[in-house]
Amino acid sequence: MSVATVSGGVGVTPSGIAVTGVSRSFGSVLAVVNATLVVPAGSVTALIGPNGAGKTTLLLMLATLLTPSTGSIRINGHDPVAEPGRVRAVTGWMPDALGSWPSLSARAALQTTGRMYRMTREQAAMRADELIALTDLGDFADRPSRVLSRGQKQRLSLARALVHSPGVLLLDEPASGLDPAARASLRQLLRRLAGDGTAILVSSHVLAELDEMADAAVYLAAGRTASPEQVAAASASARSWRIRSLDEAALERALATPGVVGALVTVRGVDQLGTLVQVENEASAAALLHNLVLSGVPICDFGPAVGNLEHTFQDLTRSTDAEVSE
Amino acid sequence: MTDSRVFLTGLWLIVTLELRQRVRGASWYVLLGVFMLLVGVVTFLLWLATSAWLSGGGGVFGAIIFFVLLLGTLVSPALSGNAINGDRDAGTLATTQVTLISTGQLVLGKFLAAWITALAFLAAALPFLIFAVVLGEVTLATIAVSVLVLAAELGVIAAVGVGLSGILTRPLFSIVLTYLVVAALSLGTLIAFALLGTATQQQATSVNYQVVSSTFDEATGKQSDIVCSTAETTTFNVPRFDYYWWILAGNPYVVVADAAPGSFNDAGNPTDLFGQIAVAVRSAQAPPELYTEFNGCDVAAQSSRNDNGTFPDQAFDRGPTAQQTYDDAVPSWFIGLAMHLLLGAGALAWAWRRTRTPATHLPTGSRIA
Repeated sequence: MSVATVSGGVGVTPSGIAVTGVSRSFGSVLAVVNATLVVPAGSVTALIGPNGAGKTTLLLMLATLLTPSTGSIRINGHDPVAEPGRVRAVTGWMPDALGSWPSLSARAALQTTGRMYRMTREQAAMRADELIALTDLGDFADRPSRVLSRGQKQRLSLARALVHSPGVLLLDEPASGLDPAARASLRQLLRRLAGDGTAILVSSHVLAELDEMADAAVYLAAGRTASPEQVAAASASARSWRIRSLDEAALERALATPGVVGALVTVRGVDQLGTLVQVENEASAAALLHNLVLSGVPICDFGPAVGNLEHTFQDLTRSTDAEVSE
Repeated sequence: MTDSRVFLTGLWLIVTLELRQRVRGASWYVLLGVFMLLVGVVTFLLWLATSAWLSGGGGVFGAIIFFVLLLGTLVSPALSGNAINGDRDAGTLATTQVTLISTGQLVLGKFLAAWITALAFLAAALPFLIFAVVLGEVTLATIAVSVLVLAAELGVIAAVGVGLSGILTRPLFSIVLTYLVVAALSLGTLIAFALLGTATQQQATSVNYQVVSSTFDEATGKQSDIVCSTAETTTFNVPRFDYYWWILAGNPYVVVADAAPGSFNDAGNPTDLFGQIAVAVRSAQAPPELYTEFNGCDVAAQSSRNDNGTFPDQAFDRGPTAQQTYDDAVPSWFIGLAMHLLLGAGALAWAWRRTRTPATHLPTGSRIA
């Protein structure tokens, strides 16, 4: 899948999402400030940020529901403000609020949505059946949607976003309320869609999950997207690693031995899951593991205590909090 | 498909979706059943009260039309007043707006669905209207015009309800405000008309000349040597209802009553309920006479006694008949209906503006999704 940039030359169809310097304010409240991001076709990008960071506002602007105060947005090369119809035809949006027509069954809701995208009755019925199978809603498809559980409504909401086979998919907290099996199949589904060339932007704060499916991440804090340099600095910053040994006493002894623990490593303590050490970077982590194994400590678990995204997220959130309080 | 076909297909999709959402299920049919029962009871009582088997169905027909208007205006705000903001609260508005359904299709579709719902009440009352027609004395024109204007008035209420639901953020507030609009039109116009008319009093003068003494000639039956009194001037206040008749024209009941073609008997008096209301409303258009002069001496000098002992020339002017008043006045239903249609269309246009996406301005405290 080739990825063309928005500013690409003549004859190249720009695809995916491109957001440049977008701001949005509500009265005096700045919800999004100078946000910049790119989601190429065929990739999954995670949109990460604390509550109230402006994730939903950003997605509403991408979904043609809000106009940006400043800046430009291009969805497959089209401006959502100037050409909302063209953008809507290629964009699927799954909102964070779960709304479904209460007296309609899941099947009828999907058929109705298909008709809203100007499908014929037959096309809409076929697509609804496909999506019911895809999102595993078969057992509940003909019950009124007011009796569906939260997780089932979540799957219906995802199915509705996929009705018109969109080339750009915007998902706002898609995994909340899903059981582990449904999360796993969501992950597989999104990877498959990305493989088919869909540009996917997923917001979530279940970071461990995004770690496994996202190709890239955009960090949003207090309405601002973190710059690539900030992200690089944050992900490279010192982080906790967890070590578990079959012989905890041997591990403790080895860590106390001078020379085993390098200059860039400090022991932070022991908890019920193992021993936590602060490691400056991945090279010093590798050196530590090497030394421990050489010392004969039976290591059975050695890894970062938190996922990549979570580590970066926490580091960036800390630094913005510090900026705000200054 | 052509553009207009695409538009109409989407519009009809919204209408059917609305109808399936709002008016499906047993409770809706129970409501219609209760309504039919009420209309049936009212029809029967009116039949007894107006001795309709002798006098015809004019009174029964008019009363049923009013009853449908009353119940329609009581039910319609509850069914239409949360059409747009209720969907926003339920989270189903934005998911429709991101599809290829336009804001115009959305607002118009919701309006049409609300109107169709209100028309169901008119349809449920149809058997009783037919019964009133069977009783006789109701012209085909009256039936056609009354039903059409009633349908238009129900549409206006539906448009106001859907419009307010798009203008205001909170469903409860827009439903209550729709009820207040209905109340303002149905009762407020009456109160405003009566209060403004009586508050705007103007002084009227009446001058009288009377015969003080005269000589009566038995042979000719005429008076001579008439000595006249000086002018006796009396002043009094008259209300100026003619300034405010258009307020009364804004009453939906008046619109329905006035629109029906008037039917009058040989004496020029209206024969049905609608005719009586129409005459009363149209008579308010005529300004009162602020200066009247009565010269008793002139009358006495010109008149002569008949053989049977009466003075035919002295008969008082009875004024125009009800039919003359009706025919001379502006048809107020036209003004009233035009005001209502503007109100409904204005509400829908404003709702369209407020619901359009991508939204530039959001009312404080509201979310788009």
